[in-house]
Amino acid sequence: MSRPLRLVVFAAGAGGTAALFLLAVLDMPPFGSRFHPYRNHSVPAALAHATANVVSSVNFDQRGMDTLAEESILFASVVVVATLLRKTDDEEWRKERRGRVLDSTLLMGWILLPYTLLLGFDVVAHGHLTPGGGFQGGVVLGTGIHLLYVAGRYDMLRRVRPIRPFEWGEAIGTGAFACLGVAGVLATGAFLANVVPHGTFGTLLSAGTVPILNGAVGVEVASGVVVLVSAFLDQAIGLETAPAGGGKGGRAGNGRDAEGGGNR
Amino acid sequence: MPVVDHGVADLAPIAVAAPILGAALLMLLGRRVPRLALDVAALVVAAAEVALVADVFATSTSGRVVTWVAGWTPHKGYSVGIVLVNDPVGAGAALCAASLVFLALLYSAGYIDSVHGHFHCLMLLFLAGMVGMAMTGDLFDMFCFFELMGAAAYGLTGMKVEEESSLQGALNFGIVNSLGAYISLVGIGILFAHTGSLSLPILGRDLAHQRPDALIVAAFVLVLTGFLVRAAMVPFHFWLADAHAVAPAPVCALFSGVMAPLGAYAAFRIYWTVFAPVVPVGDVRRAFLVLGATTAVVGAIMTLGQRHVKRLLAYSTVAQLGLLLLALACLTSQGTAGALLDAAGHAGVKGALFLIAGVLLDLYGTMDEAELFGRAARHRVLGWLFVAGGLALAALPPFGTGLGEAVSAEAAVSLGYTWVPAVFVAVSAATGGAVLRVGARAFFGLGRRPVEEDGAPSSDEEPDVHLRRVPVSMTVPVVALLLAALATGVLPGARSAAERAGAYFVDHAGYVSQALTGAQAHMAVHARANWAALGVGLDVLSALLAVGIAAAACYGPRLPALLALQRRPMRILRAVHSGRVGDYVAWLMVGVAVLAGLVGLPLR
Repeated sequence: MSRPLRLVVFAAGAGGTAALFLLAVLDMPPFGSRFHPYRNHSVPAALAHATANVVSSVNFDQRGMDTLAEESILFASVVVVATLLRKTDDEEWRKERRGRVLDSTLLMGWILLPYTLLLGFDVVAHGHLTPGGGFQGGVVLGTGIHLLYVAGRYDMLRRVRPIRPFEWGEAIGTGAFACLGVAGVLATGAFLANVVPHGTFGTLLSAGTVPILNGAVGVEVASGVVVLVSAFLDQAIGLETAPAGGGKGGRAGNGRDAEGGGNR
Repeated sequence: MPVVDHGVADLAPIAVAAPILGAALLMLLGRRVPRLALDVAALVVAAAEVALVADVFATSTSGRVVTWVAGWTPHKGYSVGIVLVNDPVGAGAALCAASLVFLALLYSAGYIDSVHGHFHCLMLLFLAGMVGMAMTGDLFDMFCFFELMGAAAYGLTGMKVEEESSLQGALNFGIVNSLGAYISLVGIGILFAHTGSLSLPILGRDLAHQRPDALIVAAFVLVLTGFLVRAAMVPFHFWLADAHAVAPAPVCALFSGVMAPLGAYAAFRIYWTVFAPVVPVGDVRRAFLVLGATTAVVGAIMTLGQRHVKRLLAYSTVAQLGLLLLALACLTSQGTAGALLDAAGHAGVKGALFLIAGVLLDLYGTMDEAELFGRAARHRVLGWLFVAGGLALAALPPFGTGLGEAVSAEAAVSLGYTWVPAVFVAVSAATGGAVLRVGARAFFGLGRRPVEEDGAPSSDEEPDVHLRRVPVSMTVPVVALLLAALATGVLPGARSAAERAGAYFVDHAGYVSQALTGAQAHMAVHARANWAALGVGLDVLSALLAVGIAAAACYGPRLPALLALQRRPMRILRAVHSGRVGDYVAWLMVGVAVLAGLVGLPLR
């Protein structure tokens, strides 16, 4: 389709869809109403398992199956990125090193690194008590490590941050979640059942399996973020297309139909 | 809660988690062990999964298996937890997925580039997504596993990163399906705001006897959109051919065999459990008969016009998905039974055809029908298997596809839709005929050598692997898949079993009450012979027409005058399938509006 035609078709479809959505929203319960069946049931359920952070109770206890799927989506996505951005035969590692880091940036990086990692651990460890948890803390941990890149050099990051252990971390975090689910079956007959003693409400040792599952997710997410960022950094900075001559194809394009073929 | 067979109810969630554990294991092993060990480990996991799911399926045939995950059984009719409800359709779909993944891994063993186990890992995560989606009885949980299936699938499509078109196909697939998924998520949000629940049985109970107002219609249309995109319903179907053209052959077998049909499964599972008591049957039936017939006809026409073998097979999948929608749209247990038999037969047939196409690509480095002309003559056995697949696609008895289409046609006729069997015959004949044409040319060199027409560029493609001879591990899955398709139509009681499964699938009240109170529901269905005269007649007719179409293509005179008449509409249809993702997005929005119009406007 030509660009104007495409816009017309899109506008017609989107207009119809928007009208549908608008009509639906007009029928929705008003904002701030008293109708909240899920809240009414999930808060007592969280309290019954001594979980102060109700959101974590929903994520890891009441609807843990969703979280298993979501964690697996992240796992799959990271594996996909690592697969699609892998080094191909016609790419080689860049040799020259460029750039310079300001001393103030270097200083801030080294100060912030331990602080960020500590914060990440804290967010993961208190996920069952305060806002946060494995997903959030994992992202803080995974990005924190990249202060090494901001405050240093790419090749230095590559040296101090081997990628293999993080690949294993991803697998172990995901596997541990699934294993805890199976442990629930063995202990009580119910998958992902909260089988660990619930402890005292509001203390670090409470909420049964919730902090353990949070930990597993934290390991998985932190490792996944590192693998993810490293794959993108390698493509953006580390790798370059080999000089022309060898190999066919190549990600930079060689003039073939860029539209995926259409109809042949 | 009184669950009859406690053991199997506990097993169902393990069947969802097992492939995830397997994927984690393969990721750990990936760089440490030799390729053979990776293949064996993945095959062991897949085989164990087949056994687990088969156990759940066997139990489900005598009654639904209900599992409230983590023990959150309903209290006074409400639960904060997630329920898995395995009826024969859900567990059967999971069994189909697990078996197909096992065979696809067998085909790939030792050959497809595994990228340190990443390929195996993604295949198992893909399987986990499909199993979770098939088994769950929770709307949001279904969405999560649907997304898991998608995330792995996008990656599996783009495995051959050296090829630009491979990444472009994966990107088209990912963008269109993600957009569909976001629209579904909006619908789920609306439904949750309205009812305060995500559980299919609770939603169904709470919505019952409400008025089908704009909110209900919007929720229905929006929630279904993402799943119908995966089911490649016109005009959501554009991504499918782009993805199939570039994905490795065993991955294509999974996409066509189970992934796309699972989209239709989810759409109709949600309709039956949640919306059946609210949105009038006649309304939904009309909408999906129109959309199903359109999908089938567009798919069939596009199939006939392809020269790229994998694209041709992909469009025949679109056509087949259209027929599946037509059968499901009858909204009766018999129509559902027809769809089940057809889907099972089609999974075997199309799986086998894609695997053979993959072998051709690996041997000759091209998927172009003209370039393949006569080249595969020494692979006679594969050639006959390909022809058998073409005939099965044309609904020849006693293949499962034929039985499925016969039962679907009966279901439509009994509702008074006598035009539906005509669509079935025409579409089966066209798709089967196109496949027979390719088989006759590539393996037997029959007829004239096809000329380079339409300026279609001959392309040398990157094969999945370079082969000189065909290993046994590649032919065994092909034969197994065709035998499975045959068994679907031959096994005594296949039709009765499908009709019982269909009866469970459409039983809204039984689903809700068993999930919420544990009351066992049993379906009694009259035992029936598989085949009836009407169905056999229609099937034989479509198979004969398919042979005629193939013969006409190979031997018939060129009909310039006739072709000239068709050329213009054909060119427009081709131009619409542009390969541009922006166009696809525009059509997607149109599709949502059309679906909303078809369902909503008659209710005003």
